[in-house]
Amino acid sequence: MVNRVVLNNQIHRDVRIAAMRPTRENAEVNTVSVIPREFPRLLAHYPIFFTKNTETGRFETAALMGFQPQENLFFVDGQWDAAYVPLQIQRQPFSLITRRAEDSGEKPPSLDVALDMSQTVQSHEGQRLFLEDGQPTKFLQDITSMLSALVAGAKETYAFTGRLAELSLIEPVQIDIEFVNGSETKLQGLYWIAAATLKALPAAQLAELRDREFLEWMYFQMASVAHVSALVARKNRLLSGATAARP
Amino acid sequence: MVGGGTAGWITAGVLASRYPRRGEDGISVTLIESLQQPPIGVGEGTWPTIRATLKQIGVTETDFLRECDASFKQGSQFVKWVDGSDGDAYYHPFTLPAGYEERNLAPYWLEDPRGQSFAAGMCFQTEVCSRALAPKQITTPEFTGLANYAYHLDAGKFGPFLRKHCIDKLGVRHLYDEIVRVESKDSGDISQVVTKGGEVLAADIYIDCSGFSSLLIGKHFGVPFLSTKDALFIDKAWAVQIPYPTDDAAIASATVATAQSSGWVWDIGLTTRRGVGYVFSSSYMSDEGALEELKSYLGARGDLSRDLSFRKIDINSGYRQEFWIRNCVAVGLSAGFLEPLEASAIVMIELSAKSIANLLPSCHDGMRQAARLFNDTFRYRWERIVDFLKLHYVLSRRTDSLFWIDNRARESIPDSLREWLEYWRDHCPWHEDFPHREEVFSAASYQYILYGMGFQTYPAPWLLNDRDRNLAREKMNEAAQYAKTLAAGLPGNRDLLSKVRRYGLQKI
Repeated sequence: MVNRVVLNNQIHRDVRIAAMRPTRENAEVNTVSVIPREFPRLLAHYPIFFTKNTETGRFETAALMGFQPQENLFFVDGQWDAAYVPLQIQRQPFSLITRRAEDSGEKPPSLDVALDMSQTVQSHEGQRLFLEDGQPTKFLQDITSMLSALVAGAKETYAFTGRLAELSLIEPVQIDIEFVNGSETKLQGLYWIAAATLKALPAAQLAELRDREFLEWMYFQMASVAHVSALVARKNRLLSGATAARP
Repeated sequence: MVGGGTAGWITAGVLASRYPRRGEDGISVTLIESLQQPPIGVGEGTWPTIRATLKQIGVTETDFLRECDASFKQGSQFVKWVDGSDGDAYYHPFTLPAGYEERNLAPYWLEDPRGQSFAAGMCFQTEVCSRALAPKQITTPEFTGLANYAYHLDAGKFGPFLRKHCIDKLGVRHLYDEIVRVESKDSGDISQVVTKGGEVLAADIYIDCSGFSSLLIGKHFGVPFLSTKDALFIDKAWAVQIPYPTDDAAIASATVATAQSSGWVWDIGLTTRRGVGYVFSSSYMSDEGALEELKSYLGARGDLSRDLSFRKIDINSGYRQEFWIRNCVAVGLSAGFLEPLEASAIVMIELSAKSIANLLPSCHDGMRQAARLFNDTFRYRWERIVDFLKLHYVLSRRTDSLFWIDNRARESIPDSLREWLEYWRDHCPWHEDFPHREEVFSAASYQYILYGMGFQTYPAPWLLNDRDRNLAREKMNEAAQYAKTLAAGLPGNRDLLSKVRRYGLQKI
């Protein structure tokens, strides 16, 4: 069970965090929510698709890691098997949560940094969160800015996908895969750029997408689809008994 | 187009979206709306056809749901229609019975109902309705569902919503004015109409959506009105709007129709309020008596308060002898109106608009044939609606008032319905029974009502076989399984509608 607690410089003054490494609880997922600012680095390893948020139905961007609900082919023997780890994984066990008192307020709610106490993160060794005088350490400052980047990135994502949906530039894609052992799977709930619509897009809209950086993000998404076959190859290596290749 | 109610704007929207103006080439639609005659605003229930109609007109489901306070309707529930006892209730869901695409499996449910009502055993949607769940999830694209659905809508908002779209997006010309004179050619065709504001408007075809005043089809052409009072006794209604007790109160997924001593009460949940009303027959019940009965319906649910305002509506049940005469077609209340038991009003408007769009002749010579085809089809449709509505009364075993007893009198039942009922003694309703391409009520609907009300069909043994018997078992198991899956995975009607308000639905 996740047990998120808002950080407090009194209560958590002496807490130390061991090196932040993806844990099974966080890493065993087949899609990881990502933000457009990560696309250039994600493009080295992962296929990126659009998915729908199950609570809001709005489009988000996600990196595909596996073919079954809890299959992450990039998480092998407790290790992350790629040079770049998506921010959504990196930030664990920290998160931002909305301050309750202002939940109903009109202005943007303020956010607190929270720590998931259920994970084995506290240790005698490792990084402190607060200095003796209660000020955040450099380590915590870095965490905070990573979390802020994710919040800002989520906003950018919705602006990006919202506009693409308006212009009918997102379409569903179903990918049928046959693995080396003959088993088959259909990837559903994934969306990508509607290439034909993009080709026919009027110049004014194309310029708008370019000016808002959306156009390059779109091309990153399109290019990343090539990694699906690498992902299939990872799965095939597992199925045929070979150890997954290490970079 | 004469009249700017639901009929006027749906028909204008369908025609203008089907045939967009292309310079000299296309058609142009002008709609005259009377400010003197506020729309009636009943008919808040629809059929699933409405989704295709809205899509055709080009509005988004999100805008429609938000602006018309609409909710998802997945069928009707009939309470106390069979014998009036406690627990007497059955559903007529919109999703077809299990296996209906392949075979008629109703005989096998009759043979072994496995302790379940027809609707519960043969259709997963019954479970969804009884839990007031939505027919879809927030991730389901616009106009598609995991269960078949239509809407409950605020008719007072629906017309203006379509009006804005028709004017802004479809180029329909709109004026608020009154028609004061209709002028004819020697042939009898309408040549032009003159308005109070001094406009002289000439068109190739005139569509009468003027509501009960029937300006063109009735007043001008004098086409006779065929009353259906002999079969359908309802002629009055009391209507009232009921606020929800809390903002998060559940919204029912079906129209609830509860039988009373001299008619029935409709209960329809919108996002903002419930619409409730008692339709009754004045031959069996006084206005005051009906109002008391409606109040006791509300009182039993804790919905009775001092500030409710009750509105009386007259219902003149019937339809025109012809709907398309010369260069004029009647759509909506001007064409006819029957009691709202199966929400046939809006679906008839949609079907009319679609038929006009399909039959629309490209020159005047085609008008006569188009009119003949349209009239044949729509006379058939009105007759079938009368049959279908009457079926609900004929099958009732209520004996608490003469209203119910007289409803079963042989002379009040149309011959066509009597013949079908005899035929269905040994055949379960099926496609061949209804030869038209687009039936308002299919064999599936007849099955739901007949077997929901306890009608017995005794098919000859040689009509049954093991292959279909096994298929029926398999399909009923699948339906039960799917009902469980959906019960776990679908949000409440209210939950989803709140989310749509907040986030909208995706087009894909």
